[in-house]
Amino acid sequence: MQFDKQAPSLRKTNRMAGLARDWRLYLMLALPIFWYLLFCYKPMVGLIIAFQKYNLFKGMWGSKWVGLENFRFTMQMSDFSYALVNTLWLNLLGLVCGFPVPIILAIMLNEMRSVGTKKVFQTLLYLPHFLSWIIIGGMVLQIFSPTSGIINATLLRWGWIDKSIPFLTDGPHWQATYTLVGVWQGMGWGTILYLSAITGINMELFEAAKIDGANKMQQIWHVTLPGIRSTIVVLLILNIGQMMNISFDRPQILGNAQVRKFCDVLSTFVYRTGIENHKFERATAIGLFQSLVGLILISGANFITKRLGEEGIW
Amino acid sequence: MKKILALLLTLALLLGMTGTVAVADDDWITLRVETYDREITGLDVTDCWQLHYAQEHFGDPNHIKLEFVSYARWTEGDLLTNALAGGTAPDICVTYNGSLVQQCIDDEGIWQLDDLIAEYGPNLRAFLGDELLGYGQSDHDGDGTKEQWFIPARRISVANVGNFIREDWLKALNMEKPTNVEEFTAYLRAAKEAKLAGENTMPFSFGIYVPDPLYNVRRFTDAWVDFSQVTEEDWFAYARNPEMLPGAKEGFRWLNTLYHEGLLPDTFALSDNDKANDTALIMGYNGFFSQQPDQPWRTDKNYQIELEKNVPEGHWVTVNPFKNESLGGKTLHDIYAANGLSIIIPLTTDEKTAVAAMKYLDWMAVPENMFAMQNGIEGINYEGISPELGIPYGVKSADAVPNENKMHAGDICFISNGLYYGSDEKNSAALALPFAGYEEDVVASYVDALTDAWTQISFTVAIQAETDYGSTIKSKQGEFLAAVVSCDPAEFDAVYDAGVQDILNSGAQQMIDEFREAYKEGNYRGVFPGNL
Repeated sequence: MQFDKQAPSLRKTNRMAGLARDWRLYLMLALPIFWYLLFCYKPMVGLIIAFQKYNLFKGMWGSKWVGLENFRFTMQMSDFSYALVNTLWLNLLGLVCGFPVPIILAIMLNEMRSVGTKKVFQTLLYLPHFLSWIIIGGMVLQIFSPTSGIINATLLRWGWIDKSIPFLTDGPHWQATYTLVGVWQGMGWGTILYLSAITGINMELFEAAKIDGANKMQQIWHVTLPGIRSTIVVLLILNIGQMMNISFDRPQILGNAQVRKFCDVLSTFVYRTGIENHKFERATAIGLFQSLVGLILISGANFITKRLGEEGIW
Repeated sequence: MKKILALLLTLALLLGMTGTVAVADDDWITLRVETYDREITGLDVTDCWQLHYAQEHFGDPNHIKLEFVSYARWTEGDLLTNALAGGTAPDICVTYNGSLVQQCIDDEGIWQLDDLIAEYGPNLRAFLGDELLGYGQSDHDGDGTKEQWFIPARRISVANVGNFIREDWLKALNMEKPTNVEEFTAYLRAAKEAKLAGENTMPFSFGIYVPDPLYNVRRFTDAWVDFSQVTEEDWFAYARNPEMLPGAKEGFRWLNTLYHEGLLPDTFALSDNDKANDTALIMGYNGFFSQQPDQPWRTDKNYQIELEKNVPEGHWVTVNPFKNESLGGKTLHDIYAANGLSIIIPLTTDEKTAVAAMKYLDWMAVPENMFAMQNGIEGINYEGISPELGIPYGVKSADAVPNENKMHAGDICFISNGLYYGSDEKNSAALALPFAGYEEDVVASYVDALTDAWTQISFTVAIQAETDYGSTIKSKQGEFLAAVVSCDPAEFDAVYDAGVQDILNSGAQQMIDEFREAYKEGNYRGVFPGNL
C-alpha cells in the first residue's frame, strides 16, 4: 500500500476513500473485533452474578441481589488467605526466576554462528511449551518421586544421599520444583519476542561497536540489551499485571495432598469452592477480585515505568 | 486477489456461525434422553441397539421420537450443569451428582413429579417401591408434606467394600488368612521381610482417593472406633468426619506405622498415583488392596487376569481382618443406600414431553421390557436362559458382540443400577455370572462385603454447611491423611490434633452441628453400627 501525501484539509475525504477502497480488509478486521466483543466484553455483563445468589435456572437477570455477601463469604474461608499468599508467592518466584531466562537464552541463540545448530536448539527449547501439563505432570512424577523417581533412585544408589529428597512432598521443595518446571516449560517460548526484537536492532550499531573495539560481552551490554529494553519493559509490566492470575492446570496437576498448604492457589480454590459446589457466584466474586487487583498492579507498574522515563504500555 | 480472499474468508466464517433451524411437522414429539458415554469401542450410544429397540416398542406406538443425548460419563455433572443453566438439558436427565440435584430443587428448575408418577408411572412405582421413591422426596416449600423431586434408580447390589489378599503369598509364607489386624499386620511384615516380589515388594497398596479421601480409609480406621463412646447421634453428626470418631486416631496411627516400616508406598499422596498403583497390582508387587467387591474381575480393570499374566500362581481372595473389638469383633463394611443415580425432568421440558418422559420410564419398568433392555437378544448377547436359575448364561463380553448389538445395561436402562431379574436370589446369582471361572471368589467377596454391613449415611434435608464447605473439608481431609500417615511417629499426636482442629475450623464444625440437628429431627437415613 502507498502512503498518500496530501494536504491535511483533504484527510477526511481520503479516509472515506480509503474505507471505500479497503472495505474488505476492514470487514476482515471487524471479525476479531466482533470476537472480542462477543467473548471478552459481553461476558463481562455476567460479572453481576458476583453480587447475586445465582439461580441456575433464572439466570443473571432473575437471581436475587445479595450485595457483597459472596465476597464476604469466600474471603472469610480459612483457605482463602493462603491461596492468595501462595498465588502471589508462586508468581513472584516465577517472575524472579523465570523472567531473565528467556532474555539470556535469546541473546545466546542470537550469538550462535551456525544456523543449523541454532534451529535445533530453538526447536528443542520450544518443545516443552507444546506439552500439556498432564504430560509434564507425569514426567515430573517419574523424575522427582521420592525413592522411585529417577533423581532420588540414582542418588540413593550412588550413596550420595541416604534419605530421598522430598521434591514433591515437602512444601518449600515443592515450590522450588514447581517454579523450575515452569521456567523450563516457558523459557524457550519466551525467547521468540526477544529474538524478533534483537533482529530489529540496526546492524550498523554492532559494526560501529566492533570498530570502536567492543568485545562480545560489551556489544551485548551496550547494544543488544539497550536495543531490546522497551520489549523487556513491556513484558515486565504485562507480567506484573498477571501476578494475581495463576493457571489452574499447573498447580492442580503438580500439587498433591501432602503439600496442600503450599500448592493451593486462587484458581484451585475457586474450582473447589465455586465450580464443584455449583456456587458460580462465589467463583465469579473471586475472579472479579483478582481482576481488580491485577488492574491496580498493571496500572501501578505502568505508572512507575513512565516515571522512570520508559515507554509504558499505554 | 487478496481482497477476494479476505471477502471469502469473512463469508465462510459468517456462514459457520449460522445454525440450522429444525422444523417440527406433525403430532410426533421428540423425547431427548441423557445417556452416559463410556467410550466403549464400537458402541455409539446415540445410535445403539437399545435405542432402536425402545423406539420400536415404545416410541413408534406412542408417536414419540426417542433421541439419546450422549454425555461423557466422568464429566456428566459439569456437562449437565451447563446444559441446565443454558436451558438445553435433555428431557430426562440422569446424574450421580447429588449436590447438583439439590441445587436444582433449591433453584426450582425441575418438575415436581408426584402427579406424573401417579398418573403415568404405575409400573415404575411398582418396580421402585414407595420406600425407595422416598429418597427422591423432600419438603422444599416447607408446607410439611414432601414432594417428589427426582426418581432414584434402584441399586441392585449395595455391596461397596472389597478387601483382597494374595492367597499365593499366604501359602508362600505358610500363614493362615488373617482374621484380625494383628495377624494382618504380621502378614504384611512377613511379606516385606521375605521380599515376595523382590525389591519391588510393597505389601499394602495405598493411595489417596482425592474426591473423598477418607471414604475408602474409614473401612480400615472404623475398626479402631470405640463404640462404647459413640452414640447414634454422634455417628450421624460425624457422618463426613470419620477421623474424629473416638478411637479412630489409633487407626491412623496404625497407617503411620505401616508407612514408616515401608509397608505402604511413600508415593501414596502424589496425584496421578492411580496408574502406578494399578501397575503394581498387576505386576504382583502388592499383597493387599481394597476397592469394590468385584474389582479383581471387572472388565475395565481386571487385576486377577492381568496378574496371572505376570505371576501365574497369583490369586486375589477376599479377606476380612478389620475387626472392631468394641463391637464384639464385628468386621464393619459400609454399603450403599438403596438408591442409585437420580433421574430428573427439567422445567424447560414442556408438559406434553414431560408426560412422554414419564411414560418412557414406566415402559422401562415393565419386566419384559427391562429384561430386553438389560440383556439384549438371546444368541447374540447371551447364549440362553438357565432353566434352574432363570437368568441368562453365557453372557458375551462387549467385544464378542457385533457393533449394532453392543449395549450398556446400566447406563441406558437407568432406572435399575445393576441387572435385575425379579428376586434377590436371582440378582445375586447374576452378580458372578460375567466372571466365568471365578464364581466362587466373587461370591465369597460379596458375602464378606455384606457381613456386618451398615448403610451409608444420607440426609433428607438440604445441609447448607455441606454445600458451603463440603468440598473444602474433603480437600482438608486429603491434607490431613497425607500428614498423619507420613509424619514422624513422635509428632503423630500433635499432627493429628492440629489436623482435626484445622478441619473443624474450616467448616466441619458447622457441618457437624447441622447434621446433628438433622438427626434430631429425624431427617436422616443410614445405619448406626452399634445397632447391628
